[in-house]
Amino acid sequence: MIATCAALLAGLGLAACSSGGSSTSSGGSGSSTSGSASFNAALSGVVNPSTHKGGTLTFAESSTPDSFDPGNTYYAWTWNITRLWATPLVTYESCPGNCGLQLTPGIATSLGVVSDNGLVWTYHLKQGLKFEDGTPVTSEDVKYAVERTYDRSVLANGPSYFPTLLADPTYPGPYKDRSKNLMGLTSVTTPDAYTIQFHLQHPFPDFNYVAAIPQTAPVPPDKDTGSNYQLHPVSTGPYMFQSYQLNKGAALVDNPNWTQNEDPQAKQLASKVVIDLNVNADDIDNRLLAGDIDIDAAGTGVQAAARAKILSSPSLMKQSDDALSGFLWFAYLNTKVAPLNNASCRQAIEYAANKTDQQTAYGGPYAGGAIASTVMPPNIIGHQNFDYYNAVSQPSGDLTAAKAALKACGQPNGFTTGLAYRSDRPKEVQAAQSLQAALARVGITLQLHGYPSGTYYTDFAGSPNYVHQHDLGIDMGGWAADWPDGYGFLDEISNGNTIVPSGNTNIEELNDPVVNNLFTQATSPTLTAAQEQAIWPQIDQQIMKDAGILPEVYAKSLLYRNPAVTNVYVQAYYGMYNYAVLGVSTGT
Amino acid sequence: MTVSVEPSPGQREPAPEAVAASPGVPIEGRSLGQIAWRRLRRDKVAMAGGIIIILLILVAIVGPYLVQNPNTYNSNLINPTFSRPNGSWGGISLAHPLGVEPVTGRDMLARIVVGSRYSLLIGFLATALAVVIGVFFGIIAGYFGGWVDTLIARAMDVFLAFPLLVFAIAIVGVVPNSAWGLSGNTLRVSLLVFIIGFFAWPYMGRIIRGQVISLREREFVDAARSIGARGPYILFRELLPNLVAPILVYSTLLIPTNILFEAALDYLGVGLIPPTPSWGQMLSNAVTNGFYYIDPMYMVIPGLAIFITVMAFNLFGDGLRDALDPRTR
Repeated sequence: MIATCAALLAGLGLAACSSGGSSTSSGGSGSSTSGSASFNAALSGVVNPSTHKGGTLTFAESSTPDSFDPGNTYYAWTWNITRLWATPLVTYESCPGNCGLQLTPGIATSLGVVSDNGLVWTYHLKQGLKFEDGTPVTSEDVKYAVERTYDRSVLANGPSYFPTLLADPTYPGPYKDRSKNLMGLTSVTTPDAYTIQFHLQHPFPDFNYVAAIPQTAPVPPDKDTGSNYQLHPVSTGPYMFQSYQLNKGAALVDNPNWTQNEDPQAKQLASKVVIDLNVNADDIDNRLLAGDIDIDAAGTGVQAAARAKILSSPSLMKQSDDALSGFLWFAYLNTKVAPLNNASCRQAIEYAANKTDQQTAYGGPYAGGAIASTVMPPNIIGHQNFDYYNAVSQPSGDLTAAKAALKACGQPNGFTTGLAYRSDRPKEVQAAQSLQAALARVGITLQLHGYPSGTYYTDFAGSPNYVHQHDLGIDMGGWAADWPDGYGFLDEISNGNTIVPSGNTNIEELNDPVVNNLFTQATSPTLTAAQEQAIWPQIDQQIMKDAGILPEVYAKSLLYRNPAVTNVYVQAYYGMYNYAVLGVSTGT
Repeated sequence: MTVSVEPSPGQREPAPEAVAASPGVPIEGRSLGQIAWRRLRRDKVAMAGGIIIILLILVAIVGPYLVQNPNTYNSNLINPTFSRPNGSWGGISLAHPLGVEPVTGRDMLARIVVGSRYSLLIGFLATALAVVIGVFFGIIAGYFGGWVDTLIARAMDVFLAFPLLVFAIAIVGVVPNSAWGLSGNTLRVSLLVFIIGFFAWPYMGRIIRGQVISLREREFVDAARSIGARGPYILFRELLPNLVAPILVYSTLLIPTNILFEAALDYLGVGLIPPTPSWGQMLSNAVTNGFYYIDPMYMVIPGLAIFITVMAFNLFGDGLRDALDPRTR
């Protein structure tokens, strides 16, 4: 939970954190396999189901991956695509709709089993799994994969859940160990070649989600080349690297030692996979529409030009999906800066905001997203629909209620406060101005303060001191979780214990005992999954009652699928097509 | 350019003798200024530039009182699916002669007109700052020579070699929203003027220094010195009047550079604070949000505004140089 979106936002730029998207309902309910292509068909069903083998599947990416090394990556699209060559202990079920949020075993035989005190998680590996070169996969390889992520000087990009959660947090990593097979990390033990145990500092019920991060994909110690391992990660997935030129592209071919039986969540249909890097984003769209490439790897939706083409042509629109990205655009309403320390004043802002203008600012209903009334987006486990401030029923703002709330706050004529936003994010600049214009209708004056996004979470909005000194009552932000449940989404942005002096993500500084208690309850090791999931909506509702967060839009991306691609559907966890199961048909 | 080279018989230029020949009109000596003004007036291109400049200044001064509020949202004029204005040509209509902005529906004419005030204000003030600093140090370096000259000339080299854009982005990012008793856009405008002007002075300084080096050996300076004039008198009473021509010319040419630089800073997001209209920010928005495809007018209009302004100043400045100093033609 440490780095969730602060890191995503700072490092990835637009990869996961800005997306476009649109339309109304996402999957979950739809029929499971619909063959025909229609708008949003891949949200609820599989488009072009096929078992045809052969052909070349081509991905294109406008930028470069942070790394193709499963132990060293934090981009959403690389987590998705590394499934082609790296199978973690646990993975997400490959299916359309919200079923794609469920965990399922990867190289483990079942999800992790936790000890009674909540401190030891045990996984058993499937027997007979092999790396691409035929050597068997053992628990030591998984342990080594976890160990190497401890050395941030070699592998700097991945998340750092393991050092945070596991005992022995100061382990320096295997590269400083000299002898490669020392296996010095004491908090991960391997009782036998097919069993691995993780020893935690504190109980952590969501540990299975951590085990689903690509960092648990096995790495053979004698093949590890540190930061160069990304050039040829040793495959446990359906494909293996044939060639990879940094910043240019990679070619993958069938992994002969992979078996469908052992890895039902992936497929080996195309006989070759090509990943082109550093292709101009508009060029990707044009080639996608022309059928020259199959998938835009970034998965954050087409650019404005292609969007206009797709949305104005029914035949192109049939080939597109408007997927929820799992991302929320919102504004933090600070609970400590006067007069926003009075909940009624924050509620006045909730009522007065013009949600339609906010939606337009983020790109409209298709590329921006759906108007939000809750903190958790619909593709998060624990989402429940409610609308305390008439965001959906009166999207242009409920000015009567806003004025009543202002009166209750003792500021009947409105007030003045600061609004922080990232000045190098054009959509956020637009959203800030639209909020300023909307709140002016009830006499609330916002003074705009733009900051660079690189230091937004460390020095400005993420520093409570700075926020107080500069009277920043409202701070724009965006958020996505590393795993799709209420804990992953809500903890860092609403738990009172997470307020820190720098890099703060609970920017509204909500420290509500009700919310804090619910978090304590939810993380108790004795809770069943169903009990735990019943708590998340309560937290969401309490945050909205406190008006600590002004939700703007559930981000959506307008994705385009080449008609030649088979087995296409949106994996709800990524908010993009599931890259592990795609094939190509010949003849189109 | 379009003047025909063939002299047509009936259209001969009135020769100088025509003036001399007319009886009763006393022959007047013409000052250098009058000669330059005549030359300038004959330069149609420069005059056109000058007229555009005057119009722009008028627009910047009175325009904002005549247009609608540039910050009023007109969401009803926007197609929410594409975020672009309804209707063709960026939503041009009688109510909005230049159309409306995508996403917000704010009136483009109002934003261009109010934006011109900021563009020109920053352009002029930054140029004034650069000229004052540049002339002061240029004269001193050129006149005194020796180690003073070396010091100032090297300082100018340092300024010229400075990665200005990076510095500007850094300083605008670091300075808080209120400092030195200023806040909001007043502070931002002062900051932009300071950054742009403070780094543009060496161009002026070098030119003045060169001029002064040639002037200081002239007889009139020797004469002044021989009757006991001292440094400051010679610098500012004898030399400065002879520098009016280059100062005028190069400041006219510096203004468009500064306007462009301001637009560039705005483009990079370190310019004026929204929702204050700014030409550079409109361009930036059009490019980074991809509006150039779905609403090209949003890019064309601020682009044209910058283009016309910069070209008018450049044409006028070139004409002025030709008029004041025909040798450089």
